[in-house]
Amino acid sequence: MKKSRGLEIEIPITPMLDMAFQLLTFFILTYRPAPTEGQFSMNLLPAQPAVDITKEAPKDNATPSLDASLRTLKTTLRANPNGLIGEMTLGDDQVPGLDELKTKLEGFVNDPNLSFDQAVINVDPQLRYSEVMKVIDVFSSLKPKPLTKISFSELSDAPGGAAP
Amino acid sequence: MSASMGTELRAEPNLTPLLDIVFQLITFFMLVINFSQENFDARIKLPVAGSARPQDDAAKLNDEKLVLNIDSQGNLIWNGQVLTAEQANQKIKFEAQIARQNIKTLRGKLVEGEALPARVVIRADRDTPFAPIFAMIKTCQNFNYEKFDLKAMNGP
Repeated sequence: MKKSRGLEIEIPITPMLDMAFQLLTFFILTYRPAPTEGQFSMNLLPAQPAVDITKEAPKDNATPSLDASLRTLKTTLRANPNGLIGEMTLGDDQVPGLDELKTKLEGFVNDPNLSFDQAVINVDPQLRYSEVMKVIDVFSSLKPKPLTKISFSELSDAPGGAAP
Repeated sequence: MSASMGTELRAEPNLTPLLDIVFQLITFFMLVINFSQENFDARIKLPVAGSARPQDDAAKLNDEKLVLNIDSQGNLIWNGQVLTAEQANQKIKFEAQIARQNIKTLRGKLVEGEALPARVVIRADRDTPFAPIFAMIKTCQNFNYEKFDLKAMNGP
């Protein structure tokens, strides 16, 4: 008596593998990893009388009785002909570099007799964006408390800054 | 005597595990691929700032955004096209109108001069002069945008 054998059906998967490799090649060629980007988040209000540092600002819970001009640190950045920082002043004092800027700012912010809680950065129109970001980086990395209330204005009397 | 002439040895490699691995790779790339170009323009080299922090995922999902890519000449790049200053103004005005319309649709009314909830994401080249960036910020402020994100790289 003969036993009937089962039918074996072989599915050729080589073409399927070929198509899969085609798809893989497509995705490898179109894949572009996005670099990690950070950001500084700011509320930049339009210029209003209350934002003008020479006039009284809206009352703040932290320092309700002080005039805005007494709570605002004024930083001025002037560009050299290469677009880099040529001259930097904090208030009325010239600051030679970013490290010194950070040291001075931490001195002001940590002084209990002073009450700075916001900053205005006056920027030379020709100054490069990367240089402005370095200064914002300094303000954002102050210890123990970073200064995050920052606003910008454009220097109207910028001659191009000091030579390097 | 019988002899089977021409018996061949055939080695057939098993392709099934290979196909499995290939499908795993395809699935990986399908999940990470991003066809959207408008938020990431490779022509722009962002400045470096160590304390710049990535936006958290909840904020990414919730916030409306207006992304402005600004090249080293100070021109706005929109959908891969370089716009003039006037075109950039028109584009920002149009986006602001859409945002206001969306608020009216959702809330029913919009107070004149009310700040728009959308965030303006500024991706400017590191060599861009400050003047055109400040002009762009003022333009956005004129159309009631007040929240800004200045993009930077954490490291070189």
